[in-house]
Amino acid sequence: MTPAPSSRAAVAIDGQTAGPEQGAARPLDAESQAWLTALRGEGPERDEAVARLHELLVRAARFEVAGRRPSLPHLRGGDLAEIVEEAAGDAAVSILARLDDFRGASRFTTWAYKFALYEAAVKLRRRAWQGRELPLEPESWTVVPSTAPQPSEVAERAELMSAIRDGIEAALSRHQRQVLVSLALNGVPIDVLAERLGTTRGALYKTLHDARKKLRAHLAAEGFDLEALEMGA
Amino acid sequence: MDHELLRLLGPGEPEVSCDDCFAELDRYVELELAGEDADGVIPGLRAHLRGCPACAEEHESLRALVVADTPGGAA
Repeated sequence: MTPAPSSRAAVAIDGQTAGPEQGAARPLDAESQAWLTALRGEGPERDEAVARLHELLVRAARFEVAGRRPSLPHLRGGDLAEIVEEAAGDAAVSILARLDDFRGASRFTTWAYKFALYEAAVKLRRRAWQGRELPLEPESWTVVPSTAPQPSEVAERAELMSAIRDGIEAALSRHQRQVLVSLALNGVPIDVLAERLGTTRGALYKTLHDARKKLRAHLAAEGFDLEALEMGA
Repeated sequence: MDHELLRLLGPGEPEVSCDDCFAELDRYVELELAGEDADGVIPGLRAHLRGCPACAEEHESLRALVVADTPGGAA
């Protein structure tokens, strides 16, 4: 199920800042208006529009599958074709139920594409982890910098990682710890963990956000200069 | 901040939720591709993309698909 977009102003995840009104309405372009009119119509005109929408969504889902295929060597052609069809079908259901949410902030086709890409991406992530046990505890604390470090940087890094480990143990709730470790340390995709825990991507990301915030506060209290870390120092 | 630390500590600035990211993604991509100030119009979305790998992947895909759809864009 695709996320449920709200119609309120975009608000930061911690509710502190507000952005502009979401998807500010503007006059629809002719093509988008034609899509809406046809999909809201009746009879053969609507049937034809639904069929064209399905083709559009299949194309988007294929695009997503093709882009991820190199990282999914164990999935066969039949699996991938099935994912494409399921993603296009689920996206069509979401789109037809949410036509009133489309207010012309983008072209209709761009708006529709995102549903198919989302559905395909989620299904691919879940299929890739099907049957695998999820690591909820740290598999390794060897988090190395992307660039080759100097000896002094190795020591600083070890100190930082030690403080992060302490923070994860001391500052986070059990649930926050499991979510942070699974997603950020063990590389479990958020949609996979959400499915196993019976929750949503949005709810899980809020937990991750809160855990990160506590961890940052812990590191700041321990004297680490987070601004310097932001600058890559 | 390197990639590994970013995954652990997040972007450290105000960011929108996954639901609001999904709601705004199509508008954000079209603003980006039009060369407009997408981050100024939709604050907090770029930060969210830095913190959420799943939403970031979907942003990349939508952007690439819209480019491929544009006459003269990549096939």
